[in-house]
Amino acid sequence: MNLKVLSLALLLAGVSTAHAAEGELSIGTEGAYPPWSMADAAGNVTGFDADVGNLLCTKLAMKCRFVVQAFDGLIPALKAKRFDVIVSGMSITQDRKKEIDFSVGYAELANMFLVPKTSDLAGIKDIDALLKGLDGKTIGVQTGTTHAHFIEKRVPSANLKTYDTLDNMQIDLASGRVEAAFADASALQDFLAKPEGKDFQFVDVKVQSKFDSTLGEGIGVGIAKENTELKAKIDTALCELVADGSIGKSSQKWFKMDISRSCN
Amino acid sequence: MLTTPVADKAWEFAAELRANLMDASLILVWQGGWIRAILQGAAITIAVGTVSMIAGALIGTLCGVIKWARIFPLTLVVDAYTSLVRGVPELLIIYLLFFSSVQFVTQVATAFGYAALADSGYAFIIAIVAIGTISGAYSTEVIRGALASIPPGHIEAARALGIPGRRIFRRIIIPQMLRIAIPGMNNVWQTTIKDTALVSVVGLQELMRTASVGAGSTRNPLIFYLIAAAVYFAITLISQAGFDRIERLVGLRSRK
Amino acid sequence: MDMEFLETSMPFLLRGLSTTAALTAISVAIGFNLGLGLALMRLSENRFLAGFAKYYSLVFRGTPLLVQLFLFYYGLGQIGFIKSNAITWWVISDGARCAVMAMALNTAAYTSEILRGGLLSIPAGLKEAAKAAGMSSFLRFRRIEFPLAIRQALPAYGNELILVVKGTSLASTITVLEITGYAKRLMSQTFAIFEVFALAGAIYLVINLTLVMLIRLLEGHLMRHEAR
Repeated sequence: MNLKVLSLALLLAGVSTAHAAEGELSIGTEGAYPPWSMADAAGNVTGFDADVGNLLCTKLAMKCRFVVQAFDGLIPALKAKRFDVIVSGMSITQDRKKEIDFSVGYAELANMFLVPKTSDLAGIKDIDALLKGLDGKTIGVQTGTTHAHFIEKRVPSANLKTYDTLDNMQIDLASGRVEAAFADASALQDFLAKPEGKDFQFVDVKVQSKFDSTLGEGIGVGIAKENTELKAKIDTALCELVADGSIGKSSQKWFKMDISRSCN
Repeated sequence: MLTTPVADKAWEFAAELRANLMDASLILVWQGGWIRAILQGAAITIAVGTVSMIAGALIGTLCGVIKWARIFPLTLVVDAYTSLVRGVPELLIIYLLFFSSVQFVTQVATAFGYAALADSGYAFIIAIVAIGTISGAYSTEVIRGALASIPPGHIEAARALGIPGRRIFRRIIIPQMLRIAIPGMNNVWQTTIKDTALVSVVGLQELMRTASVGAGSTRNPLIFYLIAAAVYFAITLISQAGFDRIERLVGLRSRK
Repeated sequence: MDMEFLETSMPFLLRGLSTTAALTAISVAIGFNLGLGLALMRLSENRFLAGFAKYYSLVFRGTPLLVQLFLFYYGLGQIGFIKSNAITWWVISDGARCAVMAMALNTAAYTSEILRGGLLSIPAGLKEAAKAAGMSSFLRFRRIEFPLAIRQALPAYGNELILVVKGTSLASTITVLEITGYAKRLMSQTFAIFEVFALAGAIYLVINLTLVMLIRLLEGHLMRHEAR
């Protein structure tokens, strides 16, 4: 029927047509979180997540196929089998573990606050003073992240603004709509390097994941619950990759520091 | 030069606006990649809009007939459908479909034989299902209204002449319905094409999302959203002109 | 969906109700008056006014509300002039206020079309009779044209009101916490996607059905002279 032909043509026209073959690992990633995960106008993914993904694929002798997806939609999409795994700087948390499985943690986030240099938070060096100082302030975070849950739990009096993308959050930070932004330091570095970042700085307090359970237990690869075989393979592969330093090297390249975390 | 303080401010504002846009345009020109991306996004927008509109028109015709002919209990189902779509924000419907009914989508795609494509065309399919569903509800009302405006005398006369029911439908009802429905369908199309912008939230690389990505990436939202608005406006104007033409061709302006 | 979930989620979602209501009410209040002004401009004999109203209407009806929202929030927020002026910054800096502005401007365009239709549908004879009776144009407008136009336009305007309510859900994309915003937040906490959005949808349905009933009541009241 003509309708079928038309819809087929439109589907093909609008979309990349890599078909799911055997020996292929499809990886869901955000594509809008530099330097972890960046997608260019053509849809090619680069960044630390892309490197980790590619390293895994080589180790597992499979072909990599990246699927770009909004961050808060990654877990539902994984459960719906849109892709096999999630590699997108996703922290392992109890809440998330109820929905999907995670590999062993392979990296550690350094969560920090970004504020204007003129802010009264700028000089704070200790976590308690920081939490007190954040009282009632307008804080920007990304929807569905551990950072969002941390602020909700630890600074309930704050005026929390959630953004779909890091970019939009940073645009609002630059224009003064939020007084502080909370996210992973490596992702926020990017902002400081840009011209609009020159009036901003980090608050010198690293909020480690062990400080509060909302911040999770390190970065892991998200895997669907029933995929136990794949999980075992990925766990072994990740441990090897951390041990032989490949993840550490990639981390140095993108973050200028080694955030890899050993398996045991 | 005007010298009142208000005019001064206005001048200052205009100058800054111009500086912003010129700066950004330079970036755009040098990195022509964005212009291409925007055009591709526009193509996807039109594709989603068109397919959804066609799907919606089919749904609308079916449901509109059901509602007009008052076929119980199907009428209740159709009523529930249109009330739901017209009463719940489109954004919610899109989020709902995107996050939950994936099995349904994969099944639909497989039924059409495109299982493999379903993986990569996922966002596109969700977009069409969502916008098509919404478009269908509005189309239903248009078709029902069109059917109701056919003078009942025509149908009575046809019956009196002994013309069989199906032929009445095909030769008398459908042609008139199609003609009367055109202005209404024009409105549905305009709404549909604008609703496609909402699909940007599920990540489909259509016009709005491309503009968003560009805005975030170059930190210049003003120029990107202005361009997006201009492209949508162009699509609207062109389709409006097209529909006007069709209306004239079909002789709607003339006395029936 | 269990009762416990319902008990915890509903209050959370209903927190957004006051914001949705406020967004709708203020946008409509501003937008209706603006739309009336635009309709009058369009019908005036001044070519400049009529042209401005026509193109205003075309532009705001020809582009998606989402684009308009982003343009005002992120686009205008980029311009230094806007940031330094206290008044404009007060409007633009907050997602809710910015959304109200964008929605007011948007609904004004649709309202102007609806009211224009209503005003044009008044039989010329009535207007001429009023003129002959010596009514000033303002009195004529207030006593004859406007009431008649409203009665004619009410069904279409009721539709527009519902569209405004639905439009408020888009404010969630620019950080505003109305019903949809709370729904998204709840979803990212509980992952109970279908349930959360079903609940949120139900709330909107109730709002819109109530609105439809109110409009019907108003219609009945205004048209009571036609009651049998």
